[in-house]
This record gives sequence, C-alpha cells and structure tokens, in this order.
Amino acid sequence: MSQAALLVIGLFALLTMDAAIAHAPFEGVGSFYGGLLHPLFVPTHVLAVVGTGLLMGRQAPRWRWFPPASYVAGLAVGFAAMVSAYAPQSAGAVLLAAAAASGALVALARPLPEILGCALALTTGLALALDSPPGGISVREANVILIGTFCGATILLLGVVALTIMLCREWQRIGVRILGSWIAASAIMGLTLRLTR
Amino acid sequence: MRSLGLCLWIVVPSLLATPVLAHTGGVSGGFVGGFAHPLFGPDHVLAMVAVGLWGAFLGAPGIFILPIVFPLVMAFGGVLGILNVPLLGTEAAIAISAVVLGLMVALAARLPIWMASVVVGAFAIFHGYAHGAELPAGADAVAYCVGFVIATGLLHLSGIALGLTVRWPVGNIGVRGAGAAITCAGIVFLWRLA
Repeated sequence: MSQAALLVIGLFALLTMDAAIAHAPFEGVGSFYGGLLHPLFVPTHVLAVVGTGLLMGRQAPRWRWFPPASYVAGLAVGFAAMVSAYAPQSAGAVLLAAAAASGALVALARPLPEILGCALALTTGLALALDSPPGGISVREANVILIGTFCGATILLLGVVALTIMLCREWQRIGVRILGSWIAASAIMGLTLRLTR
Repeated sequence: MRSLGLCLWIVVPSLLATPVLAHTGGVSGGFVGGFAHPLFGPDHVLAMVAVGLWGAFLGAPGIFILPIVFPLVMAFGGVLGILNVPLLGTEAAIAISAVVLGLMVALAARLPIWMASVVVGAFAIFHGYAHGAELPAGADAVAYCVGFVIATGLLHLSGIALGLTVRWPVGNIGVRGAGAAITCAGIVFLWRLA
C-alpha cells in the first residue's frame, strides 16, 4: 500500500475517531487494559509524553538511556506516592508545563545537556503518575489499574522515542520540529486556561 | 519499516481525535470546537494560508521556519487574550496581516529569514490574542487548544503545499495571484471595520 493511501486512511481515521475523554471509564475493558490505555486517552498526558519522547529521540544518540530511565523512575515514585493516597491537584498543571518545555526544546532543535533531559523526564513521569488517580472500587483493582497505566505510559514514551529516532530525513526532522511547536503552543495555552479558569 | 512508521504517525494522532460532525450545535468545547474555531474566521484562514505561500518564495529554511515560529508566538498572544490583557486594534491588525502577507506573496518578497519571522510573529500575537480572548469558558481546555493549534498548523501546511507549485511558471503566477487576492480580501476586511 502506498504512503499516500495510508495517509488518506489515516486522515479518514482522524475524522471518524471517537472522543478521547480524560479519565474515561473504558466500559467493557478490564482494569489492566483500562490503565494501559489511560495515557493514550488523556490529552494532557499525550502532549507531555509525546513531547518528552520527541525530545529524547531528537537528542539521541547524544542522550543515552538516562532520560528514559529517569522517566520510568518518576513514574514508579509517583505511583508509589499514589498508593500512599497522595494525589496533588497541581499535577496536571506541572505536566502541561513539562509538555510546553519539551515541545519548545524540540522546536528549538539545539544540542542540550543530558541532565536537562533527565530532569524533564523525571518531572513528566512523576506528574503523569500523580495525575492518574485510579477509579477502582477495591484496592486490588486500583493497583491493577496503576500497573496498567505504568506499562501504558512507558510503552508510549519508548514507542515515540523509537519512532523519532527512525525519522532521519531532513523533511522528517523539520516535521518533528513543527510538531514540537504545536505541542508547546497547545500546552502553553492549555496551562494558562487551566490556571485562570 | 517506512510504512510502519507512517502507520504509527497516523495511529497516535488518531487517538487524540474526535468525530468531525456537521451541525454539532455550536462551536464550543473540546477538540472539535478548537479545530473548527480558526476555520470559521476567513481573515484568519487567509492569513494562515498566506504564511505558507510566502514560505514557498522564501525557500528553505524559511518555508519551514515560519510554521514553527507562528504557533509559538501565537500561543503567547493566546495567553494575553486568555488573561484579558488589553491589546488595541486586534481585529484591524488581523485584517492588516492578510493585506501585508498577501502583498508579500504577490510581490514574491524575499526578506531575510529573521525579518520574515518578525513580521509573521508580530501578526501571530494578534491572531493568538483574538482566539485566546474568544475561548469558551466551558471548554475542555487542553483538547480545545490542541484542536485549535492543529487547525492553524494545517492551514500553514495547506499554504506550503500550494506554494510548492511556484517551481512551475503557471504555479508561480497562480500563487502570486492568490497573494493578490488575499490582499484584496484583507482590504475588504479593513473596509468593513471602518
């Protein structure tokens, strides 16, 4: 199948997909799969994870495995805090701020120190976990949802990083920068709206 | 592998998308509301397309730098609008943006990239401000902004796609003619405001 045909199918899919609602109940989906899909269905989470993934992919191979490891560590610490019933209201705003920073740095396309990537990744992972309170009715179910969310958030990030690394052509690199500027712009306005209304 | 990569690029944004429905009962809230909002302002649409068309005459890297600069500066304008910071002459500035950007395309102006970025960025503030000030209070903030930014970006890319025809003589004339038409439309927008 040609790329043009795939693009047409993709654009059609864009026009027909159902709404992505934050913290949707995912009726008919098991607890684990509900958690697994959760990061994919919350716009704030998608922005932050895709922004962070694009940044890591663009900075590779200069950046090694430390930023992804920081992200996973942030997720783990956040979920541990969540199990301890700690769920701050500001996690969503922090996630948007991280998305704005990641998107802007992707658009900037300059070599960056790895420590900055580690800090951003840690913040994103931590905030994402704290912004994902499980809706389970039992402790066991809530834990299964959290494990699913951990796996989903990790797979999404690694998938975006791997995909970005594969995009080597000049127009693809520019496309990534444009996508970064879109992520930054969306996150900046979304953050302002969230903080003021 | 390339097809796989393209599929992933399609699947990931598909997860963000919402249905495109005619007669949704008003443009408010969510991704669809944000996506539709820029498309209902002809002055905004023409100016965004003109940005893409102008990039075609600027050549690389201008053709791609402008669509990167515009959303970022527009977000700054959007923040000013959301915060209700007073900004005089917003509607006039948006109409003038259509006049000026259309003129740049019609004249095939080849400004230095930094100067083109300043021109586009200055107008982006007003476009962002207008949209920021009009954001519905009940909207799903992030989904709305994502839709709004994607629609604006796709208008740029539409302009770029049309602008790529300048390599042919007929295309060059057509694109410059489109620039002249955008300028005329901008003058009409200005005249209506007067």
